[in-house]
Amino acid sequence: MKKAIPILFLALAFIACQKNPDFNELSSDLIVYTNYDKSATFGEYQTYAIPDSILILDDKEKPSYYAADDPRTIAIVRAINSEMKTRGYIEVDNNADADIGIQVSYVKDTNTIISYASTNPYWWYGYDYYWPGSYWNPYWYGWGPSYAYPISYTYTIGSLIIEMIAIEDANPTTKKIPVIWTAYMAGILSSNQMNINRTVSGIYQAFEQSSYIRSGVE
Amino acid sequence: MKSIRILAIALLACIVLPGTLSAQLYKSTYFNVDWQFNGIVGNDFANTPSGWGMNFEGGRYVTSKIAVGLYASFHTNNKYVEPQVLELSPSSHLYTDQVQSVFQIPFGALLKYRFVEDSMFEPYVTAKMGAMYSRMSSSSQVVEFYDEEWGFNVQPEVGVSIFPSSSNRTGIHIGIYYNYSTNQSQCLLYNMNGLNNIGFNLGVTF
Repeated sequence: MKKAIPILFLALAFIACQKNPDFNELSSDLIVYTNYDKSATFGEYQTYAIPDSILILDDKEKPSYYAADDPRTIAIVRAINSEMKTRGYIEVDNNADADIGIQVSYVKDTNTIISYASTNPYWWYGYDYYWPGSYWNPYWYGWGPSYAYPISYTYTIGSLIIEMIAIEDANPTTKKIPVIWTAYMAGILSSNQMNINRTVSGIYQAFEQSSYIRSGVE
Repeated sequence: MKSIRILAIALLACIVLPGTLSAQLYKSTYFNVDWQFNGIVGNDFANTPSGWGMNFEGGRYVTSKIAVGLYASFHTNNKYVEPQVLELSPSSHLYTDQVQSVFQIPFGALLKYRFVEDSMFEPYVTAKMGAMYSRMSSSSQVVEFYDEEWGFNVQPEVGVSIFPSSSNRTGIHIGIYYNYSTNQSQCLLYNMNGLNNIGFNLGVTF
């Protein structure tokens, strides 16, 4: 047994010799992940609603938002509106009139875990103020999102999350609102602040790699 | 930078120590300590050649020309890949640039045959056989995907040991090798069904 100890140390020394990748090469670009519900009928939806504020996920006890007049909100909402209208959707002011809703969240100051799978049905674990069902309908108190695809991530500080929910297909029995599309992007920080240009580029990239989002097309 | 410093110290020690300890004390034994240049072939993943590796081997001559011994080496190959959209599943897509990396540690037993003995130039052939640990990874800004595997390793090698004289057995070693292992790895969308490497070693022998 004692003879194995130097061999073990030698093995550990060798493993420590791995040359780490040069992550500086990666620092200038985005990572954008998208996923969608394959049963969603994007072509049948015609109208959408989007809040004029962005939810900030941080360690504060109460939810906070980037307000409608915040330059970050203006740029992000404008980019999403541009993509949605290009794809044939019509924006409506009243959530009740919308087929789909788009909620945007910025992970500012916390590592927030979202985890959803058939065996682990929790979302935004540890964060009580994620977009509530009552935002989309005052009578939907206690309603929550429902993901058709498994998700298990730790969202890191400085990332943006866009979710598309099917208001039209909300289930009154289960009190679930289907989430039909998720976009997650990181690498949008510069000097620990949200870089608007990079964020907008990420939004355009999210839609570009989601060609199925188009009204009137199946 | 740290790796270069370690490499320099190791090479210096290998040049100085044999002289002070008298290699003649172990006349029937030999050791090679080499810097290694390696490229992965037959696969697009991390196939940028690099010099981030070392080779160690030692053996004992059981006849005047045949030696048996042990070998171990390590090597890293990294490759930057421009941003692209990866289809992770029919519904999920990932846009990212990435650094692909393969780290390998083959080790085992060797059989060496030198064509001439006690000469200034000793050409040789070596057959190495053993196991290999490998770590295949793809790193992006916020996430790393990786797969660690073990496999069977074979490595034929030809080379030459060059000595200042037939009596001074501290010299230079140059070898060219082909390295194959059965490691099967999967990382993101990439698969490696066996690892093929070609490279060379340059170092000291004593």
